[in-house]
Amino acid sequence: MRFHSWPWKPRVDDEVDDELTFHLEMRTRELVERGMNAADARREADRRMGNIDRVRAACRALGEGRDRHMRRVQYLSEFVQDLGFAWRQLRRNPGFALVAVLTLALGIGGSTAIFSAVYAVVMRPLPLRDPTRLMVVGETVRDMPAMAGSVSAGNYVDVVAGTTTFEGIAAEQFSNFNLAEGGAPERIVGGRVTANFFDVMGAHPIAGRVFRADEDRPGHEQEVMVSHRLWVRRFGESASIVGSQLRMNGTPYIVVGVMPSSFDLTTDTEDLWVPIAFTDERKAQHDEHYLTVFGRLKAGVSRQQALAELETVAARLRRDVPRDDIEVGFLLIPFTDQLVGDYRTRLLVLLGAVGVVLLIACGNVANLLLARGAARGREIAIRTALGAGQWRIVRQFLTESMVLALCATGVGLLLARAMLAAVVSWNPEHIPRLEAARIDPVALAFAIAMALASSVLFGLAPALRLSKPDVHTGLRDGARGATGGGFRDRLRAGLIVGEVALSLLLLFGAGLLMRSAMALQHVNVGFNPGGVLTARIALPAASYAEPDRVVAAFQRVADAAREIPGVTAAAVTSNTPMAPGGGSNGLIPEGRPLDLKSVIQSRLRMITPDFFRAMQIPIVRGRGFSDQDRRGAPKVMIVSAAFAAEAYHGQDPIGKRVVCCESGPNGTPDWKIVIGVAGDVRTDGPSVAPAPEFYLPIAQAPPAAWEWVQRSMYVVVRTGGSPAALTQSLRAAVARIDPDLPVFDVRMMDERLADALATERFNTLLLTILGVVGLLLAASGIYGVIAYFVSQRTQEIGVRMALGATPGSVVRLILSQSLRPVAVGAAIGVVAALAASRVLTAQLFGVSRTDPLTIAAVVTVLVAVALIASVVPARRAASIEPTRALQAE
Amino acid sequence: MADTTAELLHGTLVALILKTLAGGRRHGYAIARAIEDATDGVVEVEDGSLYPALYRMERSGWIEAEWGVSELGRKAKLYRLTPRGRRQLTAETAEWARFAAAISHVLLPAS
Repeated sequence: MRFHSWPWKPRVDDEVDDELTFHLEMRTRELVERGMNAADARREADRRMGNIDRVRAACRALGEGRDRHMRRVQYLSEFVQDLGFAWRQLRRNPGFALVAVLTLALGIGGSTAIFSAVYAVVMRPLPLRDPTRLMVVGETVRDMPAMAGSVSAGNYVDVVAGTTTFEGIAAEQFSNFNLAEGGAPERIVGGRVTANFFDVMGAHPIAGRVFRADEDRPGHEQEVMVSHRLWVRRFGESASIVGSQLRMNGTPYIVVGVMPSSFDLTTDTEDLWVPIAFTDERKAQHDEHYLTVFGRLKAGVSRQQALAELETVAARLRRDVPRDDIEVGFLLIPFTDQLVGDYRTRLLVLLGAVGVVLLIACGNVANLLLARGAARGREIAIRTALGAGQWRIVRQFLTESMVLALCATGVGLLLARAMLAAVVSWNPEHIPRLEAARIDPVALAFAIAMALASSVLFGLAPALRLSKPDVHTGLRDGARGATGGGFRDRLRAGLIVGEVALSLLLLFGAGLLMRSAMALQHVNVGFNPGGVLTARIALPAASYAEPDRVVAAFQRVADAAREIPGVTAAAVTSNTPMAPGGGSNGLIPEGRPLDLKSVIQSRLRMITPDFFRAMQIPIVRGRGFSDQDRRGAPKVMIVSAAFAAEAYHGQDPIGKRVVCCESGPNGTPDWKIVIGVAGDVRTDGPSVAPAPEFYLPIAQAPPAAWEWVQRSMYVVVRTGGSPAALTQSLRAAVARIDPDLPVFDVRMMDERLADALATERFNTLLLTILGVVGLLLAASGIYGVIAYFVSQRTQEIGVRMALGATPGSVVRLILSQSLRPVAVGAAIGVVAALAASRVLTAQLFGVSRTDPLTIAAVVTVLVAVALIASVVPARRAASIEPTRALQAE
Repeated sequence: MADTTAELLHGTLVALILKTLAGGRRHGYAIARAIEDATDGVVEVEDGSLYPALYRMERSGWIEAEWGVSELGRKAKLYRLTPRGRRQLTAETAEWARFAAAISHVLLPAS
């Protein structure tokens, strides 16, 4: 055996040199024996060798290749040997194997399931050409960059004209369509788009074609593209759909193409597209913001470059169109971010939490391995005696860990599949793209990576510890001779510290979310959701062109709904809480200058008078609407308490005038009189603070408003009985007014409210489950370690009892010592939890992220569980008979 | 044509080395001498090709080497046939016989 620092390389070189030198000498000697003189013989030998430098180099290269190959072969054969041995070890200890595999499977399966969800929602690239170059262009007002507002047609036209950094810029107006072709009338979400929309998005149709450049001119907008989803659902994948006619909103359209299923980016994207036709007036309109604008950056152009260009456009708009654009700005959001929204953080938090559970599981398995390693001291001693080095034994242990982890991965993947199926089928609030989550090769690779990483994590420390030949005897001696002083086994104590800290982290997160959920349950949403049924109705523009007809029709719907037996109040409204739809307007209270800075942006509800009774929203001041508030009568409005507070700062708002929504004759301001103040409503969900809102009677609605809401309204009916039972009579009542009107989105109000809380509930539930699993794992870990310590100290305890210690004092001794690492772990955990709770901030409601009550509760629970886990072995220790303990030696 | 010859000769060298080592372990020079002696000097082993061939055969697992002492008391690298090498020898011998028969059939049709 030679000892070089790199034993192989010099060996090959020497080997070749020695061999060739030897050969040349032997050949020379032979030739001399045959009668040549020494010099000629040497020359002849050299000739027969040829170019010795090349031969030497070739041999060295070949020799090194040979050595590498042999090392690999040896490593592999040892690995196979280790694998077999590991497998037999596990078979021989089925109890150990089962517990370890299930523990790890829980961690690996959980993280794989959550990872699949994260991958599907956040990381999987969109099936569009170069999705990273696709941006949403939003308008901002007053330097509030957080709000990506819709864009006006005029601003869109100017952005297109004023930029060169984009390959294309498209605009879309989300619209609803009444589709009556083939089957019951149906309400379909679609988009009015510029002709370049599909090119900008980077998608191609599977049948037909997209819009031509001249098809978004006024008077030509008679084409429609349908989504794959709609094609399948409504037209049975009919091949003849391209070229066929569809009647929507009473107008005929020709189907020109079908988009692929990959363009159904989420379950609730648009189902059809028609060209948007901007008239010249529209193109000069900078005031109405209703377009979503998509821009595809040219290759190599950065977001900053494009933003800089947009800023010059904005500066020009601020100068040229001060009335509408005095404070306009633009921002760019990557389309993927826009689509995925804030689910990124939530999912990553869950992934982190499940990772913590995996860490705790690793801690437990490490402890199990340590416990079993003690029983394998003999085996290791024999292997060491037979010449196995420490590294060789560490490798053997790590291979065992790996086999364990890979078995756990198999079980874990089954678990993950089940968990994922449950999560996907539940999917509260339709997290976009979650439905595509599955255990695919990426998830498989993740699971295996987790398995390998965790096998090192839980296997390395025990392997290093157990492979030291002197440790076993040393350990035993240390345990035997010691008196008092707590735990001397730092590794095991460290495991307790880690597990306690990690589970405290989890429990604190779960605790904060639970407190938020409780707070949300008790929030006053401002109305009474019980006993209310809601539904939407949309009037087609073709047969309900004039505003008067629209008002009359909705009035009749409200009247008919009230006539339904069992209904105590019924109304029509342009918006209900917890439901999509409804826009906002800028209001200026009298006395403020008539410019953009005075505007209070407020949500508009156009209602029939009974709305407040139907929803049980209190009128806190003044009066509600009556049938007298009709066309021709003085224009009136009701404002919400939040608006009153912002506009009047405690003064009485009744009788005050507000300008909004439309211009009077010759462009003069159009004043409306505040006649009442309604209680605040949490329109966007219980966790969102009420914003300023105002109400107009539909009889006095500005004519343009019917375009804003696209002639679509909600019916709300209140009953003393079951609201679900009213569905049929409500449909029948609407059908009597106009059989072609689709009644859609029929839901009970408390369903809508529950949905608004579904995401919170879901997160809370998941994190709570993870917290409980973590706690149970930690408890079993603590139990294992304490039981081990007690077994190691049997003799010492015997001595103590022989010297007069009572069972009670022994229990106290063991507990006080076992609680020391628990206390250290809890302290570390509290610090870590307070730091980590930052990631939950956005999900918390009504509770501080450093809530002391939650901390106290969590620490109490943890210490209590740790106590229980320690009491069992401690009592066993106290029941030891001193004589038996002493004899054990 | 030249390529085929080189290939052929190379293959032959391997077969000859295997055959030589079947008689017991030898160092590189002894292998060359044994081949030369056995063919009455008809085949002259090119020493420059011998050693790369040996290293390559080692890598293939047909032969293995250890350091020993030569007949003259010098330190020498001694090669030995492995069981795999023995199988390879059988295969190469059969291949050679087939090849030689085919060539003979062409060149010596009378026989």
